Amino acid sequence: MNLSAISSIILATVRMCVPVLLIALAELYSERAGMVNIGLEGLAAIGALAGFMLTYTTGSTWVGILAGAAAGILVNMIYAFATVSLCANHTVYGMAINLLAPALASFIYRVAFGNGSSLMQVELMRGIGIPGLKDIPFLGPLLFDQTPMVYLTFALVIFTSVFFNRSKAGLNYKSVGEHPKAAATLGINVTGTKYLSCVICGALAGIGGAYLTTCYSTTYTEGIVSGRGFIALAAVIFGRWTGGGVLLACLFFGLCDALQIRLQVSSLGVPYQFFQMIPYVATVVVLAIAGSKKAGPKANGKPYRKEER
Amino acid sequence: MEEMLRMEHISKRFGSFYANKDVNLTVNRGEVLTILGENGAGKSTLMNILIGLYQPTEGKIFFKGKEERIDSPSQAVKLGIGMVHQHFMLVEAMTVFENIILGDKRSKGVFIDREARRREILELSERYGLDVELDKLITEIAVGAQQRVEILKALYHGAELLILDEPSAALTDIEAEGLFAIMHKLVDEGKSIIFISHKMREVLHISDRITILRAGEVVTTVKCSETDGQKLANLMIGRELSSSQYEKKQAGGQPVLKLDGVRYHEQSKHNGLAGITMEVRPGEIVGIAGVDGNGQTQLAQVITGVIAPEKGTLSLKGKQVSVFDPSDFIENNVSHVPEDRNLQGLVGDMSISDNLVLKATGSGRFSKGRGLLLRPKAIRSHALELAGEYDIRCTSVDQDVRSLSGGNQQKVILARELESGPELLVAVHPTRGLDIGATRFVHDQMIEARDKGVGILLISADFDEILEMSDRILVIFEGQIMGEYSGQNPPIQEISLAMTGK
Amino acid sequence: MEKLKRSLTGFLVPVLSILLAFVIGAIIMACLGANPFAAMAALFQGAFGTVASVGTTLNRASPLIFTALCACFAYKCGVFNLGGEGQFLIGATAAFCAVHLSGAKGIGGILLALLVGIAAGGLWGMIPGILKITRGLNEMIISIMLNYVATLFMGVIYTSWIRDANTPQTPSVDDTLKLSRVIPGMRFTWALIIALGVGLLLYYFLYWTSPGFKLRAVGLNMTASRFNGFPVNRYILMSFLISGAIAGLGGASDLLGTQFRLINGYGSGYGFDGVAMALIGQLHPIATIIVAIFFAALRVGATSMQVATGVPTSVSDIIQALVIVFSVAGMALTKLPEFEAFRLRVSGKKEKEGK
Repeated sequence: MNLSAISSIILATVRMCVPVLLIALAELYSERAGMVNIGLEGLAAIGALAGFMLTYTTGSTWVGILAGAAAGILVNMIYAFATVSLCANHTVYGMAINLLAPALASFIYRVAFGNGSSLMQVELMRGIGIPGLKDIPFLGPLLFDQTPMVYLTFALVIFTSVFFNRSKAGLNYKSVGEHPKAAATLGINVTGTKYLSCVICGALAGIGGAYLTTCYSTTYTEGIVSGRGFIALAAVIFGRWTGGGVLLACLFFGLCDALQIRLQVSSLGVPYQFFQMIPYVATVVVLAIAGSKKAGPKANGKPYRKEER
Repeated sequence: MEEMLRMEHISKRFGSFYANKDVNLTVNRGEVLTILGENGAGKSTLMNILIGLYQPTEGKIFFKGKEERIDSPSQAVKLGIGMVHQHFMLVEAMTVFENIILGDKRSKGVFIDREARRREILELSERYGLDVELDKLITEIAVGAQQRVEILKALYHGAELLILDEPSAALTDIEAEGLFAIMHKLVDEGKSIIFISHKMREVLHISDRITILRAGEVVTTVKCSETDGQKLANLMIGRELSSSQYEKKQAGGQPVLKLDGVRYHEQSKHNGLAGITMEVRPGEIVGIAGVDGNGQTQLAQVITGVIAPEKGTLSLKGKQVSVFDPSDFIENNVSHVPEDRNLQGLVGDMSISDNLVLKATGSGRFSKGRGLLLRPKAIRSHALELAGEYDIRCTSVDQDVRSLSGGNQQKVILARELESGPELLVAVHPTRGLDIGATRFVHDQMIEARDKGVGILLISADFDEILEMSDRILVIFEGQIMGEYSGQNPPIQEISLAMTGK
Repeated sequence: MEKLKRSLTGFLVPVLSILLAFVIGAIIMACLGANPFAAMAALFQGAFGTVASVGTTLNRASPLIFTALCACFAYKCGVFNLGGEGQFLIGATAAFCAVHLSGAKGIGGILLALLVGIAAGGLWGMIPGILKITRGLNEMIISIMLNYVATLFMGVIYTSWIRDANTPQTPSVDDTLKLSRVIPGMRFTWALIIALGVGLLLYYFLYWTSPGFKLRAVGLNMTASRFNGFPVNRYILMSFLISGAIAGLGGASDLLGTQFRLINGYGSGYGFDGVAMALIGQLHPIATIIVAIFFAALRVGATSMQVATGVPTSVSDIIQALVIVFSVAGMALTKLPEFEAFRLRVSGKKEKEGK
């Protein structure tokens, strides 16, 4: 394999990694407050639609991104209310979101654009080279000539690490996921933090979806998220609930995706579906190797009742 | 004397049940007020009101002379009320340092200024003699140290009134002495302490005044110097305790259970077994005395087949066991009243009648064709019968066990375990959290089973229970048996010393 | 009395959720400018209006019943098998390959297809089970990943290995293999009868046998089950195996009953729909079947509704999603202590008034 092939794989890896990374960070913030949300796939779907529609109507990808965040938050508030206030089972309710959000997305799309076969298209967000750095040979175009969303996402990883490891707010936030009752006795607002985590989760998962329709694909199709929400769940486990770990896990999944596409076009006479399986099979294999026994926040997925007797 | 806290006419209702009713109490600066009461007397509810976890249904709270509404824990912390809970409120995945500064609102800035915070904590720790290792994880330090972290945490958050909820329950005598020294120091420095306990000796040793709570109401408040243990016990229980010394027996015959050099996770002092050798004969109660967390959990789990020992042998009725699986032990007529009844003993979302036949659905009595067709009628009438016999108070046997009180849940387990015709019964903290009536009932049932020839291993951290029930007493400390004593006139001093490892 | 009260809440919550979902559905229709009453009428007319439409509804329900029972059985044992879709497709794919490659015909071929479907679905379902027991992995993620793999594998079959000339689909199964209709004039086939049979069998197993009783206990409290001597891991594995086998049987019988060939998009969404139905049916096999038929009706009716009033069919998906959103929240609500206190207060008042 020559240098240009390698650089194109790296480029694709970064591009593929970003949406999963955004969604995985959403889950990281959620689970750190003890909220297991498997509704990511749905949140990303509604985010993708909102991102597409607003980009299409306003012509601005940034408005699209914000719309994705807003849609994600809105839908995730249903999850938040049911799980935090009504103490519904997190997993079951996440499934409900996975059913509701895509149905809502496809309904809105049909109402807005009809059943017409003509595909609506948007112009994608343009890359911005960082002056100076992008001129570094080989690495420059790979790392410093991307869309702003890529930079922002990677900056978010750094922010997340600092937040959870160095800040007081981050420490308090984590305690909600570990031992909510202890947190409450110290005057930390447990319910508030849990709701906040759902806002963050909804926003990031929505942005992750919107990324797909503003920076990745010019059209919206049903099933555009194609399992990224679930892969993100795996990435959080594999990344051991830390910002850096999640980044590495997502880069790995991004690499699998990039290889998969690369192999597909190389047409080795093997049915292309086998290559498409790579990311999914890799997820299973990686999890099987890493194992996930007794890890993660202690009170993850458990309901919190204030006046419990 | 300056008044620190006054609670006036406090009531707290859950549904139609009053956990506290018209409670009045005061705490002065620089004194230890003990709140004495049985389990379920409403001590914890009252304290939870004080720290803002619960809202009182009625009543007023005055702190330092001003009326305050404590509507959240942060309000309580701000006022200067701190509590050390019986079950520590420590985040295990974090370090001691992180636990102490958690929820810190005093220091400015977004980031944690480790150096400055450390200095503050160390200063406090020196002042009150609270030794802690700041960089250790909570899971790496002993129970006594965890308690010091809790106290330090409360002080760090500016507590002037400190609530200690049964602080000595999990401590060795030595550790408890250390705790009392710390309490003296705190009081001397002008802090006030509310001390919750039902260990008479401690209460008389440390308190200035004692408020007695019974069934959610204040019975009276007395000065410590003007009372004694007998008077307090009578006030607390509200009736004369007919001392029920059961007759002690000496059993012979082939042991139903024999352990020889059993080892499990030996290096872990608090959760391991370091070579246990012991036996239980039919018709005797062997009591395992010891402070919580000295391997009792593991001992019970080895003897019921939940975990397998790493070394050593275990024999049931003279036959050495090779496979450690609960089902094999159950087949050998080993019954188990487990430590955590909700987690390990019962299926909370199943009915009382289902829980009573949990292990027996395959038997001919409750199903046809070895479990191919259940007999609901037989299951139900069995439940009705046992509910009567074991005094399980419920509206219907179809009710979920989850909705029963702790005492009645324990009776369900006891009924199931004793009705299966055991030869060996392993009972772990069988009366923990139960009121006096239910405790008495459980004890009577166990004695009755013993008299029928069941060998019983009683594991309990309640020393009084051990003394009352056991025909033989073994003391466990850090996974080892420290000594064996007769249940007849046992040497109490010697045993309590053995429990601390001497 | 106690039992009655419980089954009453168990019944009321889904019914109220369905009503509420329909009210919101009606509001959406009104917002789209359609007359919600006319639209609803068209929907019910389309689903149950004629003997033929009832037949269509039941036929549509058949595969859904299988995946719903698949989810139901696994949940009863406390594991979240979200892989119903993959197990369904692997069952269909394996059944197709078996009859296509062996050339078996007639009743023997049918039996072969069904058995191969059961085996393939069961084995596919075992994978997350084995990984859960041995490696402690989250069964949800694994089973979902396997859905994608199964879908792609089916793609390999119909695009490359057993392709029907130019179109990306397989040839149809032999006519002698097709399951016949049970009642002439109604579209549903013996696949539905198999589905109903499986449902009854599950009901019997879960509520009337000792292993079923123990399986439910494992599902409700694994630790207590272990302490009480139940082989917990064996039950978990069994629940994956059987629930996968049910889905696989569903795939095979749907292939022979309705679908006849493998094609792009086949089975898409069946798995999650099944999960939804099992949850709304409160994990009771019989209730789950009823819910599945109800949702099939919604879908069949939606087409007539679209033709008559122009309301897009996807409204029915939203209604379905809302039912699950409401019913799960509703069940959680009824378990809150505050709700219990409220109920006591209301019933207490009634008692007083009665006196």
